[in-house]
Amino acid sequence: MMKRRTFIKNTAAAAAGVILSPYILPSGRLFAATGTRLANHVVFVLFAGGIRNQESIQQAYVSAQTGFNTSGNMMSNMLTGNVPSSNLLFNLWNPIQTNSIQSQGVLFPNIQYTTGPTGHFNGHTVAMTGNYTNTGLNLNINPDMPTLFEYYRKHTSPTKSAINSWWISEGLVPYPALNYSKHPLYGAQYGANFLNPAAVFQQYSSYIANAKVYQPQDVNRMDGMKTFLNNSFHQSASNLPGIKNDSADDQAIKTFISNLIAKTQNNQITWPLPPSISTNELTGDLTNIAYGWEVLNNFKPELTVINTFNLDICHSDFSNYLHFLHKADYGVGWLWNKIQSTPGLMNDTIMICMPEHGRNLAPNAIYDANGLRAFDHTGDANSRSMFALIVGPNGIVKQNQTFGSSGNPVGESIDIVPTIAKILGFDTSIPNGMLPGNALSQAFI
Amino acid sequence: MKKIFLLLVLITVFAACKKTVIQDHVYDNVIYDVGKTVVYQSSAQKTRQKTPTQFISILYSDLFQNSIPNNQLNDLSVMFLANGDKNMITEMLVSNYMNTTGVKLPTSAAMRADLDKFIDATFIRFYLRNPTAYEKYYLKNMIRNDANITPELVYSSFVLSDEYWFY
Repeated sequence: MMKRRTFIKNTAAAAAGVILSPYILPSGRLFAATGTRLANHVVFVLFAGGIRNQESIQQAYVSAQTGFNTSGNMMSNMLTGNVPSSNLLFNLWNPIQTNSIQSQGVLFPNIQYTTGPTGHFNGHTVAMTGNYTNTGLNLNINPDMPTLFEYYRKHTSPTKSAINSWWISEGLVPYPALNYSKHPLYGAQYGANFLNPAAVFQQYSSYIANAKVYQPQDVNRMDGMKTFLNNSFHQSASNLPGIKNDSADDQAIKTFISNLIAKTQNNQITWPLPPSISTNELTGDLTNIAYGWEVLNNFKPELTVINTFNLDICHSDFSNYLHFLHKADYGVGWLWNKIQSTPGLMNDTIMICMPEHGRNLAPNAIYDANGLRAFDHTGDANSRSMFALIVGPNGIVKQNQTFGSSGNPVGESIDIVPTIAKILGFDTSIPNGMLPGNALSQAFI
Repeated sequence: MKKIFLLLVLITVFAACKKTVIQDHVYDNVIYDVGKTVVYQSSAQKTRQKTPTQFISILYSDLFQNSIPNNQLNDLSVMFLANGDKNMITEMLVSNYMNTTGVKLPTSAAMRADLDKFIDATFIRFYLRNPTAYEKYYLKNMIRNDANITPELVYSSFVLSDEYWFY
């Protein structure tokens, strides 16, 4: 006969098992019951380089310049609005999106960057950590506060390996430092895979292009010898700066990199370019988006951050800033098309786009070849105002809605991390006090 | 007083017993000076971790027995920066080097003809020290018992091991 205490204990254990056991979603995916998800994939496009609301959501084109009055939408893929009809500085590309991304989701036209320097690294850090920072410009150090990757990997149950999270950066120093923080409770063990595709797949690929793929038996032989040698040594190189993939993921990523280098060398990469447009028109941003897509398509990661950066040319060349804005917009439209036409990602991905900061209201002293003035970003109110777009499956993300205005701003740069945490269902597991922002819940049904 | 005197004597004796390590290399130099050899008395004397630049420079020197060209060192430093997983990119670089003409590798036959000599030379080449008796015994058995272990696999294991990251 079962004792009363044993009975209660067994019943409690069974009940806990039922409550804590994973659920199987209709999509066939498995995740822990704690933390309801809105979608299983998030792509955060840090539409960076410093973008003014004037030329983006306000669709001012050149009308914010003294002596010019043509306005129009340079971002026909992301935003709803007519293109400029005169004073064209370059040939416009036909949008790849039939309906703008704005119409497929929610626009926050006045996201605020409340405190701290409006530097590129600061802006990236704020967006990716959910905390404002006063760290000086361009310091190549890991941030103090955890990145969104670390929150995701530490607080998602069951635990996710690094292959599920990627940081794909258009630039190098100091941006590689943003795949994990130096926070004592988080750090590299919860970090994301980082890639700078231009260096790995193009500029310096020859140094790894002929890397051998060893047979599993040979890998085992080397592992056996390495294990013996490591056991004979008193220190571990595991504290090398950087994340470490587990053995299976390591092999998968090596194969992916080798294949992608070969694909690049054989001109088999699909570029985000309109039909009949030459690859001479590619920018660093479009290249980054193209390789970011390769990562997404291959690994179907749950959390990916991809940035653009070429728009920083606005410090000295306003015309090219508009041109890069137009091209980067095409890249985002192309990416969203790819996502929405790929099983495993389509209708299960929420994409968020936001610049890292804006730019000043007043121009600097530099004129470009078309007589247009350039703009810096030195922390005035204009450089602290930007937009955010959230797009995703109908029924989960509201469609064609706008929240906030210049007189009534809604949302801050620090709100993106809590928003992603909410989407991926780990928001309630993050310790109190870590994230001062709030999820942009208005975007969701 | 007696105790203090005894302590001083002990310190003097142990200090005198400490073996001197000749450190001819300045590891912060970008180009590794391959002409000289440092011999550590044991792996315990290696306490400092190489930077990626030092690692790449020394790796090239050890494999090719030549100094790495400056442009290659700069390129590879960028490559290291461009990948989040430093171990993984190191493995790819090493296996790429193994596929490159110019790596100084003995043949399998030469290795197996004199395993003692091969193991001694491998430890000196990559670890700058002699193997312990146990290390030599274990590795010798490992190689002898597996006909498919090649010098390439042995060299790769050494340069990808933890000790190779330290000096």
